[in-house]
Amino acid sequence: MRRLLMVFVDLLLLTVVFAAHADEAFVTAQGADALDIIDAATMKPLARLPIGGKPAGIAVSRDGARAYATSPEGKFLTIVDARSRKVERRIDIQGGPLGVAAAPDGRHVYVADLYGRRLVEIDPEKGETRGVGVGAMASGVAVTPDGKTILVADRDDNAVSVIDAATFARVATIPVGRHPFGVTIDAAGARAYTADVESDSVSVVDIAARKVVATLQTESRPYTVALAGGRVFVANQHADSVSVFDAATLAPAGVVKVGEYPEGIAASGDGTRIYVANWFSNELWAIDARTLQVVGKVETDDGPRAFGSFVRKSD
Amino acid sequence: MSSLTRRAALFALAALAPLASATLAADAAPPVPGPNSWAAHGAAPLKSVETILIDAPPEKVWAVIGDFAHYDWLPGVLRVEASGGNAPEQGRRKLVMADGGAVGETLVRWDAERMTLAFHRDHDDVRRLPAINYMTHVTAKPAAGGKTLAEWKGRFYRGHPFNDPPKGLDDDTALTAVTALHRANLAALKARVEGGSSPLPACGERARARGEASACSGGAMRE
Repeated sequence: MRRLLMVFVDLLLLTVVFAAHADEAFVTAQGADALDIIDAATMKPLARLPIGGKPAGIAVSRDGARAYATSPEGKFLTIVDARSRKVERRIDIQGGPLGVAAAPDGRHVYVADLYGRRLVEIDPEKGETRGVGVGAMASGVAVTPDGKTILVADRDDNAVSVIDAATFARVATIPVGRHPFGVTIDAAGARAYTADVESDSVSVVDIAARKVVATLQTESRPYTVALAGGRVFVANQHADSVSVFDAATLAPAGVVKVGEYPEGIAASGDGTRIYVANWFSNELWAIDARTLQVVGKVETDDGPRAFGSFVRKSD
Repeated sequence: MSSLTRRAALFALAALAPLASATLAADAAPPVPGPNSWAAHGAAPLKSVETILIDAPPEKVWAVIGDFAHYDWLPGVLRVEASGGNAPEQGRRKLVMADGGAVGETLVRWDAERMTLAFHRDHDDVRRLPAINYMTHVTAKPAAGGKTLAEWKGRFYRGHPFNDPPKGLDDDTALTAVTALHRANLAALKARVEGGSSPLPACGERARARGEASACSGGAMRE
């Protein structure tokens, strides 16, 4: 009997350990100079960390250990211990650090300097290690799942820079639509999607072939792209909407009306939902990726941008 | 110089070179803003929301704010030259200012059901308003007692399009200026709707400004 009880308790403990946390959204609230950490399953705020320097870009490491927030006005990167929800350290970065992405192995973070035509490589322990020249007004950054290739949206060049992560050299540039801002890579590392703000489009890039294979028409001023449930989701900032496309056929699959001035968009860990930060109305919304219904809303601190990969996936 | 010293010097140069190139990259001239100022702005968009209570039903307020071509009631505006009516992307207007300048705006959204419209400034003039990429939203919202809460809000960036802005072109200056503009516009709207008139220039002044004779007979003229 006692033994059965012990087994039962063990199982209960295991359940608690494995269901330790649901997805969390790490939302940079630029107007409030803060980072909001939100339980994405219940859409309830968990914590608010003061960051400073007008934080905008965000990347959560694949293992969920750390979150990286860029402050383009303050010119620094803040490294956050995502488990304890504490600021670990700040690393100064010249120019205007905005776009940020974490390498899959967690050993490096890549930050694009908006004003300095640079992509910098940061070792979270040591600081800036290398830099490489990219294009004008370098914005969004994304890394392939194998960690070998980094893409940077060179906004004012209407192109994407391709960086070899090992040598940290720029190996190519790919012309895309007008003013690419966010760039997102799929789970297979095969395709990248740029949100082309001024051409109201998404450019679908074949990464290996280094060229655009399709262009999708969105609504007004698309800023960012998320991939979930076999679909492509695009936040259209001036249309207060999210455009949806089938990722395989690229056929339009609907438009979802969201809050005011949506910017950051990201998928849940299991791909059943996407989350979008509405910058003007100060809300994070959850949308069911299959039904396209709005399933949750939570108020954030002022000016949520969440520009980057802002979901910390549940264990 | 001995070969050892030379080697050490070369080694030092090689070690410092990446640092030098990084510095050079950082000091590289920032991109020059093109004629379309949507192309260049800082990294922090700003917002300003102001409201005013108007003693009139929302329909009456919407009749004024929804008429994109006839915003001559705005402070400092002499007259409005407009085309395209209230069609988004086609509705365009030039606010001819009493100070001799002009402000061009394009309508981007017009929704009679929600009583809201949105428009943006076509070109930025930081001497007139130290803010760029300025988009405005004006809305008539129902309030208690059959009144209207008129909302004037905007999204914009500071006047200096890159980092390290000089004083006068920084975020605080932009916020202060745009907030003051929104408040002044709402006050003018309230006077216009409630009083049937607005703080217009004195009778005949506009005609004189155009160099014309006026048929002013003492009452306020609506042109």
